[in-house]
Amino acid sequence: MAAFAIVSNHFQAMLVFAVVVSVAFAVLTKRGFTEQAKYALWAFLAFLLVAVGIGWILYPFSQ
Amino acid sequence: MRAMVSDSATGKEKETGHAAVSNVRGTWTAVAAWAVPGLGHLMLRRWTSAAAYFVCVGGLALAGLLMRGAVFGPSATDIFDRLGFFADLGAGAFYFLAHTFQSIAPDVAHASGDYGTRMFATAGILNLLTVLEAYEIGSGRRA
Repeated sequence: MAAFAIVSNHFQAMLVFAVVVSVAFAVLTKRGFTEQAKYALWAFLAFLLVAVGIGWILYPFSQ
Repeated sequence: MRAMVSDSATGKEKETGHAAVSNVRGTWTAVAAWAVPGLGHLMLRRWTSAAAYFVCVGGLALAGLLMRGAVFGPSATDIFDRLGFFADLGAGAFYFLAHTFQSIAPDVAHASGDYGTRMFATAGILNLLTVLEAYEIGSGRRA
């Protein structure tokens, strides 16, 4: 297997990381399914936003 | 008065005894939680947390290995490699079985291998957080 077949680019690797860590943080810090689901979604979106934001800021330096 | 002192002394002894039992229980739970992600919570009958931690830590560790991430050994000389070793070691069984899951050698020359290294380390750190939670619940410090 070349690499992880499902993860074929940087964004997908980041998605897998963000999903798993968000869910783990939610279960660790919140009690009750609704609270956990809300927190997991919030953390996941925050991961995405920050990653895309930092990528966007750093883009000129990669040229 | 003597009876009161005696009662209070017995109460204190009982309290100390309970605390010792709780600490032992917490320690065993923490060891189990480290050895197999989720096992500590399983022992505490926290079924959902146990399943979630096993899937999250296991999933992240396996993804890291399948992306050909590097797993640090105990003989690391560089301080960052040593930190990586302690992070990786946190994954418990997944650390010791890493070579079973990873049939091809690590490849950190490519981005996916580098991501894999970070994912495996993150799995270890996440598991250490679950170990702390298992200890706190097992020793009665957290509901």
